Amino acid sequence: MEGVVDEAVAAEELVKKYGDVTAVDGVSFKVYVGEVFSLLGPNGAGKTTTVEILECLRTPTSGEAYIKGLSVKNLGDIRKIKQIIGVLPQEFNAVDNLTVLENVQLAAVAKQADNVRDVLEQLGLWQIRNKLFSKLSGGQKRRVGIAMALVGNPEIVFLDEPTTGLDPEARRETWLYIKNLRKSGATVILTTHYMEEAERLSDRVAVMVKGRIAVEGRVRELVSSHGGKTRLVFDFLDEDAVGVLRGCGYVVERVQGGRVVVKVDRESDVFDVVALLRDRGFEAYPEVRQPGLEDVFLSVIGSRLSETGELV
Amino acid sequence: MFLLVFGTIFGGPAPPNYSLYIRNLDTDPQGNPEPLAAAFIQALNSSQVFDLKLLNPDDPAPRSTGFAAIRILTIPKGFSASLLNNTIANRIDITVDTINRLVQMAGENLPEATRANINQGLSQMNTVKQLFKTEKKPLTLEGSPDDRLLQPIEAIINTVADRFELALLNSTSTIEINTVQTNIRQLRAVDYYLPGYVAAFIMTNGLIGVSSFTAEMRRNGVMKLIAATPLSRFSWIVSLVLMQTIVSLILTAVMIAVGWMVFRIAAVPDLFSLLIILLGTLAFTGLGSFIGGVVKSAEAVTALGNTLSFPMMFLSGAFWPLELMPPFMQQIARFTPLYYFHVALRESLIAGSVSTALIPTAVVAILAMAGIILAAYTTKWRDF
Repeated sequence: MEGVVDEAVAAEELVKKYGDVTAVDGVSFKVYVGEVFSLLGPNGAGKTTTVEILECLRTPTSGEAYIKGLSVKNLGDIRKIKQIIGVLPQEFNAVDNLTVLENVQLAAVAKQADNVRDVLEQLGLWQIRNKLFSKLSGGQKRRVGIAMALVGNPEIVFLDEPTTGLDPEARRETWLYIKNLRKSGATVILTTHYMEEAERLSDRVAVMVKGRIAVEGRVRELVSSHGGKTRLVFDFLDEDAVGVLRGCGYVVERVQGGRVVVKVDRESDVFDVVALLRDRGFEAYPEVRQPGLEDVFLSVIGSRLSETGELV
Repeated sequence: MFLLVFGTIFGGPAPPNYSLYIRNLDTDPQGNPEPLAAAFIQALNSSQVFDLKLLNPDDPAPRSTGFAAIRILTIPKGFSASLLNNTIANRIDITVDTINRLVQMAGENLPEATRANINQGLSQMNTVKQLFKTEKKPLTLEGSPDDRLLQPIEAIINTVADRFELALLNSTSTIEINTVQTNIRQLRAVDYYLPGYVAAFIMTNGLIGVSSFTAEMRRNGVMKLIAATPLSRFSWIVSLVLMQTIVSLILTAVMIAVGWMVFRIAAVPDLFSLLIILLGTLAFTGLGSFIGGVVKSAEAVTALGNTLSFPMMFLSGAFWPLELMPPFMQQIARFTPLYYFHVALRESLIAGSVSTALIPTAVVAILAMAGIILAAYTTKWRDF
C-alpha cells in the first residue's frame, strides 16, 4: 500500500535485523504533515535505527516506509527524499576547526541551499557566526547541528536525541527552537528518552521498547487512557487520618519513606480530600501529581524510564 | 624544512672535507718536526681533500662525537731519515739500472775498456748505496672498521705519498689528467631530495590526513548528515581528491620555489610531472580514505596511518639513494608504493626523462586505480 499525500511519513511493518539481533521488529506508524511526532523509549529500543531507515541511511530487512509517498527502498525515490528532509544525527558534532558559518555552509553546499543567513538568524546564531565550533557551549553546538539540518528548508526534519547530553537550561533553550520549527510548517520527527521533552514538544508520541511500538497516540489521550489517576502525596499522615480516608472510600497506599498516596478520579476531588481531613482536625498539605507519560510508561511497560535512558 | 636542512648538509656548493688527525712522531730533540715529515704534512694539506688536525705525540686519541669518524695518521720516528735514505738508494738504483740498460743496448759497439770502467763505477755506486740504511718506516692509518670512507682515504694518502716520492726523486708523473666539464648533468643531493620530499609529503597527507579526516567525519556524524543530503558518494570522493590535489600542487610549488631560491634547483614541472603528482595524490588519497572507512576508531586510524607512512618514508629511498642501503633493504624499497612515486617524479621533474619515468608512472597509475576503487567500496553512504 502506498503512502497517502497528507501523510508525511508512513512506516509499515518495518524490520531491521543484524544477524540474530532484531533491532526493529515490525514497526508501523504514520506522521502527518505539520505535526511533531516523538519516538520515546529507552536506549537500545530501536528508535535511531527506525529513523535512519526513514532517512535512507539504513536498509530495512523487510517492510516499507514512505516519505511523502516516496519509497525509501527505491533508488530513484531516495534522491528525491533527500531533497526534502533535514537530519540531525544522534550525538552529532560539527567540524571543530570550522566556524559556525562555515559548518552551516558545508551543509548548504551539500543541499544546494541558499538560506544560510535566515537559518542562523532563526536559531540565534548569526551573531556568533564567526566563532569556532570548538569554542561554543553545548547548547550552541546543538543549535548549529539543528541549523545544518534546517538549511534548505526541508519539509521533514529528523532530530535524533537533540538534547541528550545538554544541561537542563540548554535543553529548555533548545526546546524553544524546536517549537518554532512547527510554526514554520515543517513536520518534525523526534527521538528521545526524555519524557518531559516528548510531553512538551510533541503532538503525538509512540512509545518504543525492544524494537516494537508499545503504544501510540496523542499525549493527552495516552495519559488519560494509560496514565492512571491524579495522586495526592502526603509526606506524613498518621493512621487515624488514613482510616478516615479509607472509610470514605478513597484508595490509600503507603509508599517508600513513609509517604502516603491517595488516588482520586478527578482534579476537583483534591479539594474534597483536603477539606475532609481538615474537618476531622488533621493538617494536610499534599503534593498534587497529575498523570503523565511516566505513568503511561509504568502502566504499559511496567518500568520507569530514567534520565539516562535506562529502564528501571 | 627537510629540504632546507638536508639540502644544506648534503647538497651545498663546497665539496666535502675528510677529517684526518696527524700524529707526527718524527721530530728533533727540540720537538720541531723533521723537514720531510713537515713537507709531507704540507703535501697532504695541499690536496684540499682533508680537514687536518694535528695531535701532539703524547695526546690521547680523540673521542668521537655524534657520527664523526676518527682517523689518525701516524708519521713514525725516523720517517724523514728513512725517506731520505730510501730516496738516495732509489736514485742510485735508477742510475745503475739506466746505465746497465744503456750498456746492454750498446752491445759490441762499446769498447771493452769502457765497459770495464763502467762496471767498476757501477760497483762503487752499489757500495755507496750500502752506506744508506734503507729500512722502511711505514705510516700508520688508524680508523674504525665501520668507517666506510677509510679505504678511499687510504687511497688518497697513497696518491699523495707517490707524488711526494716522485718529487723527491726530482721526477714528475708522465700520466696527465685533463678535467673537462661536460653536458652530462650530475644529480646533486638536493636534486635527489626535492622529488623525494614532495612524494613523501603527498603520501603522508593521504595516508594520515585523509584517513583521519574521514574517520573524524564519520565519528562526529557529519558523514551521516551529508549522506542524508542529495550529495552523492561519488561527489564526496571527488571533492576529497580535489582538495588533496590542490594541497599537493601548492606543496610542490612551494618546495620548488624554496629549492630554486636556496639551492638553485632548476625543476619546472611539465604536464607529465603534473600527471604523476595527480596519480600519486589519487593513490594515497584513495588509500587514506580506505583506511578511514574501515577502521572504526579515529585514534586507531591515526596510529595505522603513522605506522604505514613513517617506515615507508625511510625505506622507500625517498630520503636517500637506494645505493646507500644494504641490498635486502633495496629489495624491500621496491615493494613500497612511495618508491615508484618518487622515482617517477624524479625522472620527470629533475632528469626530464619521460622514457625512464614511464614504468614507475604506470605502477603509480595502477595504485591510483586501486586506491579509488578501495575508497569507493569502503565509503559508506548507508548502513554506517
